[in-house]
Amino acid sequence: MFLALKELKYSKMKFALIIAVIVLVSYLVYFLTSLAYGLASSYTNAIEKWGSDEIIMTIDANDSIMMSFMDQDDYDSVITTGSKTKLGLFPAVINNPTADDILGSRIDVFFFGIEDDSFIKPNQSITLTGNKVIADDSLQKEGYKIGDIFGISGSTQTYEIIGFSKKTTYQTAPVIYMSLESWQQYRYNTQTPPDLYSGIIVRGESTIDASNKSLLIYKTDDYISTLPGYTAQVLTFTTMIVFLIIIVAFVLGIFIYVLTIQKTSMFGVMKAQGISNGYIGGSVVLQTFLLVLIGIILGGILTLLTGIFLGDVIPFAVNILFYVVITAAFFLFAFFGALFSVSAVLKIDPLKAIGG
Amino acid sequence: MKPLIEMIGVTKDFLQGDNIIRALKETNFTAYEGELIAIIGPSGSGKSTFLTILGGLQKPTTGRVLLNGRPFSELDVKEKSKIRLDNIGFILQTSNLIPFLTIKEQMVLYNKITKTKVNQPWMNELFLKLDVEKLKNKYPNSLSGGERQRAAIAKALYHQPSVIFADEPTASLDTKKAYEVVKLLAKETKEQKKATIMVTHDERMLEFCDRVYVITDGILTERPKA
Repeated sequence: MFLALKELKYSKMKFALIIAVIVLVSYLVYFLTSLAYGLASSYTNAIEKWGSDEIIMTIDANDSIMMSFMDQDDYDSVITTGSKTKLGLFPAVINNPTADDILGSRIDVFFFGIEDDSFIKPNQSITLTGNKVIADDSLQKEGYKIGDIFGISGSTQTYEIIGFSKKTTYQTAPVIYMSLESWQQYRYNTQTPPDLYSGIIVRGESTIDASNKSLLIYKTDDYISTLPGYTAQVLTFTTMIVFLIIIVAFVLGIFIYVLTIQKTSMFGVMKAQGISNGYIGGSVVLQTFLLVLIGIILGGILTLLTGIFLGDVIPFAVNILFYVVITAAFFLFAFFGALFSVSAVLKIDPLKAIGG
Repeated sequence: MKPLIEMIGVTKDFLQGDNIIRALKETNFTAYEGELIAIIGPSGSGKSTFLTILGGLQKPTTGRVLLNGRPFSELDVKEKSKIRLDNIGFILQTSNLIPFLTIKEQMVLYNKITKTKVNQPWMNELFLKLDVEKLKNKYPNSLSGGERQRAAIAKALYHQPSVIFADEPTASLDTKKAYEVVKLLAKETKEQKKATIMVTHDERMLEFCDRVYVITDGILTERPKA
């Protein structure tokens, strides 16, 4: 501790540069993580809100719930230990008919048709009937208030917002909840639509009656990974983050190694005097940890500041668990980096300290 | 007089290619308390082999080294290292000071490593004796060569070792400074009943030494004082 701290104090400039590198990389990693998590959540927020275990749709929909058409017989053939509910799901483009620039007010959304007693209704105290809907609160940022009316592209139908729900986005678009009947009218663009919906959301375990061969059960997580682009995006971000952590471990390892090699003769003298490998090696490891600690604290602060100032513009979300895992990974890899230097310290021969 | 460090029947062989080279012929050597002993000899004569075996940095091929009357050379590396830390002080050619510690911190380091309390009165006494009081908060780089060696002596004495090894302590100093440093070393050796073993090239320094040994081709012989 003593040696490590005194050296940091003495060679401020040298260590400040190393810390700067760690700050920048850790900032990038934390920021990317927040962004990746924010983006991933905006894909799945509405699904997470269901609190479901399974999702059932037709086999021929080929993983695309929008192409799944199910009827009452399908619903009846699902036997569950918990509860089940119907869901109609289809994209829509809404606009504000009172805006000066109606085209400019278009927003991509998802219409969720649900039964009024459904456990996936975000606000149980609101009754959904006719054209009354609950909208994701991101529409509030677009200027919508409770009681406002919006229209949809391709139809003269209008809807009235009677409530807002929090964190209900699906594939990054806000979700609008409406009664299943209204949804069917929108989906089939007729006042007398067929009684069809897209899928069944299940809490608990379910089985399908053997007579029905057209349905497929997805675990909720498996369903999420079928969302277009979701897996590719999560994989891309994860790869970037993992590689950044490994790179910073290498960079740090090399820095510390070079510094250690520079001090070879000093360490030789120390060893000749009887200072143990353990003390010298421990000091090297501790110094590495201190550098990483200072670096990631500063990087973390930068990330938080970015989140505060840019949180509305970018999908930035905080996940403490991810931060903890990444921080632990930083320390772990930095430790491996420092081990190179420790092994170099072990190899230093105190004999060389005494010339003659 | 109490013997502090002894070498009994020590030889050292090295393997060079297929040949065994005897770098140190059978050597017997004893340093008593209060003695400043000089070791001189041309380079390659076996001086550093002698010193490193005495200091436990390498094992003798035959024979043994006793420190404070106890076996030393037979111990394993870790134990020897521990004993060196407590019982031997080093003053090296390029000084044994750590560049990023102030003179005071050089001494405190010993307490940190051994988890002991700083001996402030003794430290202050050493600062005064060796005239480094004004330098105690300075880093080695900002000291002159003479100041550095005085500080190195203070450091070597701080943990009260029984034996001090000084390897060319005057190499980087002018005559006046070199005299000062060796005189101080002789004085402290007497006062504190240490045995100091000084390797040197510098014939001028021998007048301050109690005994002078010469190593030639691995043979250690005592030179009668003129």
